[in-house]
Amino acid sequence: MLLAILVSNSAGNILLERFNGIPSEERLHWRTFMVKLGADNLKGARNEELFVASQKSVYIVYTVLGGVCIYIVGKDEYDELALTEVMFVITSSIKDACGKSPSERLFLEKYGKICLCLDEIVWQGILENTEKERIRRLIGLKPPNPTEI
Amino acid sequence: MAQPLVKKDDDRDDEADYSPFLGIEKGAVLQEARVFNDPQLDPRRCSQVITKLLYLLNQGETFTKVEATEVFFAVTKLFQSKDIGLRRMVYVMIKELSPSADEVIIVTSSLMKDMTSKTDMYRANAIRVLCRITDGTLLTQIERYLKQAIVDKNPVVASAALVSGIHLLQTNPEIVKRWSNEVQEAVQSRAALVQFHALALLHQIRQNDRLAVNKLVSSLTKGSVRSPLAQCLLIRYTSQVIRESANTQAGDRPFYDFLEGCLRHKAEMVIFEAARAITELNGVTTRELTPAITVLQLFLSSSKPVLRFAAVRTLNKVAMTHPMAVTNCNIDMESLISDQNRSIATLAITTLLKTGNESSVDRLMKQITNFMSDIADEFKIVVVEAIRSLCLKFPLKHRSLMNFLSNILREEGGFDYKKAIVDSIVILIRDIPEAKETGLLHLCEFIEDCEFTYLSTQILHFLGIEGPKTSDPSKYIRYIYNRVHLENATVRAAAVSTLAKFGAMVDTLKPRIFVLLRRCLFDNDDEVRDRATLYLNTLGGDGAVVQTGEDVKEFLFGSLDIPLVNLENSLKNYEPSEESFDIYSVPREVKTQPLAEKKAPGKKPTGLGAPPAGPPSTVDAYEKLLSSIPEFANFGKLFKSSAPVELTEAETEYAVNVVKHIFDGHVVFQYNCTNTIPEQLLENVTVIVDASEAEEFAEVASKPLRSLPYDSPGQTFVAFEKPEGIPAVGKFSNMLRFIVKEVDPSTGEAEDDGVEDEYQLEELEVVAADYILKVGVSNFRNAWESMGADCERIDEYGLGPRESLAEAVNAVIDLLGMQPCEGTEVVPNNSRSHTCLLSGVYIGNVKVLVRLQFGLDGPKDVAMKLAVRSEDEAVSDAIHEIVASG
Repeated sequence: MLLAILVSNSAGNILLERFNGIPSEERLHWRTFMVKLGADNLKGARNEELFVASQKSVYIVYTVLGGVCIYIVGKDEYDELALTEVMFVITSSIKDACGKSPSERLFLEKYGKICLCLDEIVWQGILENTEKERIRRLIGLKPPNPTEI
Repeated sequence: MAQPLVKKDDDRDDEADYSPFLGIEKGAVLQEARVFNDPQLDPRRCSQVITKLLYLLNQGETFTKVEATEVFFAVTKLFQSKDIGLRRMVYVMIKELSPSADEVIIVTSSLMKDMTSKTDMYRANAIRVLCRITDGTLLTQIERYLKQAIVDKNPVVASAALVSGIHLLQTNPEIVKRWSNEVQEAVQSRAALVQFHALALLHQIRQNDRLAVNKLVSSLTKGSVRSPLAQCLLIRYTSQVIRESANTQAGDRPFYDFLEGCLRHKAEMVIFEAARAITELNGVTTRELTPAITVLQLFLSSSKPVLRFAAVRTLNKVAMTHPMAVTNCNIDMESLISDQNRSIATLAITTLLKTGNESSVDRLMKQITNFMSDIADEFKIVVVEAIRSLCLKFPLKHRSLMNFLSNILREEGGFDYKKAIVDSIVILIRDIPEAKETGLLHLCEFIEDCEFTYLSTQILHFLGIEGPKTSDPSKYIRYIYNRVHLENATVRAAAVSTLAKFGAMVDTLKPRIFVLLRRCLFDNDDEVRDRATLYLNTLGGDGAVVQTGEDVKEFLFGSLDIPLVNLENSLKNYEPSEESFDIYSVPREVKTQPLAEKKAPGKKPTGLGAPPAGPPSTVDAYEKLLSSIPEFANFGKLFKSSAPVELTEAETEYAVNVVKHIFDGHVVFQYNCTNTIPEQLLENVTVIVDASEAEEFAEVASKPLRSLPYDSPGQTFVAFEKPEGIPAVGKFSNMLRFIVKEVDPSTGEAEDDGVEDEYQLEELEVVAADYILKVGVSNFRNAWESMGADCERIDEYGLGPRESLAEAVNAVIDLLGMQPCEGTEVVPNNSRSHTCLLSGVYIGNVKVLVRLQFGLDGPKDVAMKLAVRSEDEAVSDAIHEIVASG
């Protein structure tokens, strides 16, 4: 299960969060935990350099993409390597939606489109689509290219 | 989104405070949402408003029921628009709002129309939305379409239906299980993602059918799986099949070749999954392990941190069971100590601590010292715990390890970290007698400059117990008395108590302790003065060198015999009056925690935080509990309490487990019962025990449980008399008997009348191992030699054909119930002989040491030489008897 996807700006303010299977009273804790993780480690990190941590049976993969930080939390089959795959889909789709690695402002300008991308990538904690071309077509309600199948 | 992709100039990028959502406010956005009701819909504007709503929701904002309903109804109007971008947003919005069952009806027909639409993408999205908001009734109506969708030629539609199936399986399993044939067909799909989702769903549908899973795995491991993700799933399912079939099939392990083949896959994800699966195989051999370790070793030097992390994490686990297999990676692992990712570095260190041998400890400690200065406390705690285990494994190295702990204790650090170090030192002092004096001095040094009141008081308490038993107790007094001068009142009071303990235990120190205690009479804190007065007046002798009476010691320092929680409650309820507080009025029965509280999950995601404060002494708790029950009060000292043995299957109406308490001439069974039916109240709960297969036991007492409400565990006891000092064994069958009363779930009140009922429990056995305490020794050879050969008994036994040497070793350890020493319970792979050292205390407090030498005699037959040394030859004989009859 993909437990959470969080996007924050470089100052640690949350821009977007999607939780699956985490009770609302625990979300603040997670938010704080991940933002702290980012503050401790992401300073000076290269664009899209991957960071990883684990907490008991839960894995966290996080990165910097332009002016935003992205965190993904998973457990069970979504271990660190599966999360890396998910992170790759997310970052490439966001770059695709924004035309480049987004600044915070650009991310917010393309917010609706990014929400649609995430909706195609993860559905209630399960990875659904992994191909950015296909995702681009799907958010415009266009069928995938037959050659991609 | 309707906004076109406009390339912004870089200058605007730098305007940090510019945000399209600047000053966004929920009320205003809800007002804006009224545009959804316009007769002439503006798709672009509507999309913008939906984006704002999504922004609010994705920031953790919540809508009230009324607000959500209003927005939902407005959004449904947008189905009138033919704009494709807007339609896509509407689908997302409905899922986010997750409308209630009575609202869903508004949108059902629109979605059903989309679901049967000719436009594939409408179908896929409508399926996802419908499955998100549907209930059982609606699901039966759309089931036909979903089954068709699973085998739809458009992969997006098929995936949407399959992922829906995965979610719906949780809520409507009986419906989804009917889709097996379609899902089975989808597993063969040419589309990689469809195959991935179908495989996941099919496995979930059939996970309880071992044969079906076996068949699925057999067919797919022969064929081709298209995506690495699906391949990873297949590896997991294969491991499950291997695990379940391991006991039934002899010879080569099934599917191992498949796993091994996956180690050469082109996707790293698959390679890693296969390597991990191999390392986790039950009883994995070195030959099987080697290729997996080799690929993991390669990952250790990968440029990708995630791969390094995954590899070191897996090797860390392997090191717990097969330390020798990992030693080849030690050089790569050592270079990871300087890895930028501190999680990787910590895992590398702790792995090295597990795989290192006695000679490498010093070198390793040097490396760790440099590393410790630049990691966070949470990682330091992990390292401290690993060092503690290492020290227990190599007691001869206690000096350098203890020094390391004391050095890091002096450095900066938070409470949890310091507590972990102090806990470790305390454990080492308790387990390694040679480390005691240096350890105590390290703790003394620490309290000279300790900022944590809690730790200071704990250490002072510990010093009071251990200090007087050392060769020169006087050297600790200075450190303790300094606290009286320099610390806050809590610590001062603790220091006064510790001083008094020294005075009471060491007669020669008493006059000097009295001088110090008299000085405390002028302290400005009441508690400190009161304690000093109490001790001065009760220790006796007026400061002369005389022995303090045992009763005084018991009064001052003995345990209260009352659960502290009960005492606290009674004191809170006590109202100051003429009548003084009566300590005997405090109830002694321990109120067990309700189940619900126990189940509360650890919410702290930063689990690397505080370590548990050492295991609570359950024996003490049991002893207090039993001595508070008049029927058992005269049974004498409790020798041993077993771990709870389950007498019911999981998830039955009544959950019962039993703890066996062994006394010299008695055995008490403590039945811990839980009623898991909310509509029932059980009263007068007893266990009827049939001891016809336990001839030496005679029932002497039974203590029923008056009432057992739902989810609030309680205990009932049955006591048996047995021949004194004899390790009598036998089998007992158990029947739970009670009066059951119906409970009205709305009011929680029980009916007056109840019905008597019975519930059959599993059988229970008292075995020889129940009469032996697991007590380890730090240096077995010393203990063995100092015990001498006077009461030694040696004999040889044939254990017959066994699955492996390890299995034979474990069987004998379990049979004797003794503590394995120096890690000798681990049998290296493929070894043909093994020596295992055990230590324990036999009933009657007789120390026993056992040396077991195993050898393989022929292909599977195991022979064993058993040498027993104890303080009593009858006990040595008894151990042989246990083995001979076991």
